[in-house]
Amino acid sequence: MSASGRVLRELRAERRPLRLLGASGQLGYGVPTPAFNAGLARKPDMIGCDMGSIDIGPTYLGKGEMATSPESTRRDLRKVLHGALSLNVPLIIGSAGSAGAGAHLDATLAIIRDIARTDALSFRMAVIRADIDRGMLLEAVRGGKVTGLDDMPDLTEEEVTEASNIVGQMGTGPFRSALEMDVDVIVAGRACDTGIFAALPTLLGFPTGLSVHMAKIIECASLCCVPGGRDPILAILDDEGFILESMNPDRRATPISVAAHSLYEQSDPFTVHEPDGSLDLTNAQYVAVDDRRARVSGAAWKDSTDPTIKLEGARWIGERALLLAGSADPRFIAQSKDLLPKVAIVVRDLVCEDTPEDYTLRFRVYGVDGVRMNVPPGEAMPGEVFLMAECIAPTRERASEVVRTCKQFLLHYGYPGRLSTAGNIAFPFTPPEISVGPAYRFTIYHLLHVDDVDALFPVTVETL
Amino acid sequence: MKLSDIAQVIRSKNAGPRRLTFDIMFGSDADYQRVAQSPAISAEVIGRLYSVPPSEVTIFPYPVGRAIKIVLARKIMAGDPGDFDVYGAQQHAPLLGIEL
Repeated sequence: MSASGRVLRELRAERRPLRLLGASGQLGYGVPTPAFNAGLARKPDMIGCDMGSIDIGPTYLGKGEMATSPESTRRDLRKVLHGALSLNVPLIIGSAGSAGAGAHLDATLAIIRDIARTDALSFRMAVIRADIDRGMLLEAVRGGKVTGLDDMPDLTEEEVTEASNIVGQMGTGPFRSALEMDVDVIVAGRACDTGIFAALPTLLGFPTGLSVHMAKIIECASLCCVPGGRDPILAILDDEGFILESMNPDRRATPISVAAHSLYEQSDPFTVHEPDGSLDLTNAQYVAVDDRRARVSGAAWKDSTDPTIKLEGARWIGERALLLAGSADPRFIAQSKDLLPKVAIVVRDLVCEDTPEDYTLRFRVYGVDGVRMNVPPGEAMPGEVFLMAECIAPTRERASEVVRTCKQFLLHYGYPGRLSTAGNIAFPFTPPEISVGPAYRFTIYHLLHVDDVDALFPVTVETL
Repeated sequence: MKLSDIAQVIRSKNAGPRRLTFDIMFGSDADYQRVAQSPAISAEVIGRLYSVPPSEVTIFPYPVGRAIKIVLARKIMAGDPGDFDVYGAQQHAPLLGIEL
């Protein structure tokens, strides 16, 4: 019998508090070994890892590439695989490969299979895909079953067709199905982080509100502690609440630090929307068990009458090239806001002599207004600035042509009062132009209204 | 006194690619109450700092976490051309100087 079968049988035969180890909120960026080993010593009933997020932007999803390096991803996967297999408990990984589309999932699976081969490991693995079928989605768009999230414009058929990758965020259901298939490892594409940790407890009949609340906290490892960090965290769940304990003794889960975690990356600290319902934290309570453990209770769950799956999709918009430079000339810096658009016109007149204006060119002046949404008027100018020109064009060659031309004419552009007639900008190295590859934008950030939220995510099992 | 003199945490981050959220956390209930009850953090003040209409600013008092949460629409969706802070993690600076 495999790990999930064993754990389900054991807990169904004799009900006791469930122990869940949140090993990583970003698998592939390192799992601290001392805290992970401390977690294994506490004999958890499952180990879970979140591997992705939408925060990283559209390019990883669009391009089908991981944000983490293959080497560190492999190191982390190897660590959690060996840990889970040594305890014979399920290992559950969600949002595989940073963005959870087919390419990310397949890259993650390839690493896992290679580790199994190299280390002579043998186990049963469930794989859950999260790619959304375009034909089905087009039907849903025509049928009015897709709505924008956070004022996103209505989804068009063109965006469905043109998106490079489209994923849906699965809930707990597909993970529950996988756990029932007697497996040791579950690797899922794009998933709600709660699904990773709420599937096992809800399958065993623990209250959904508590299970989802716990899942929402431990998917970020020890981030809910003071000081927050990426060390694994242990949750012990019973029918009335759960206790949180970081596996790094220097991190304390206090009532305030855990309560405050509900704010993190959420637009409403009292409500968490899931595919099949919502979590209500209005009556959540946080009490200290001791100096470094907190007990949480009171979360309520409400089933949804309108189940939805959150969709994410990214579309290729061109090839990106950059120019990197700096300036220490006070006159240049003071006039940069007026001067840079004029340089852009000089560039356009040159590169569009026999070609249409098929690109965008943007400047950011770091030190002046490169970062902030709104800069108050009248700020003093800095002594130095960093300057970045960014071009997005239909081809890599075209983008490169634009930033190379920009470099030359920005260097020598004459402006009123100019003293430094040998050059306006400094380069830390040459060439100062970089081609950074394809650029994408999010074109799908919508809810799909669907009766069966789990049917979209097929589960298959393979034996390694 | 400025907000940065009394708050323990003042941070910004995306809440999804179309929303920006700010968390202001305090070290004691007294500090939290002092700020939560003052008019210093209002939709008008935040709207002015971020150049958005006050009607688009949502403020949540969160006493159980001794925190105040603020939510705004992003002007540019995360990662779109022209975005300047994909994670939204550096938009907190205007809050630091709020006079209490």
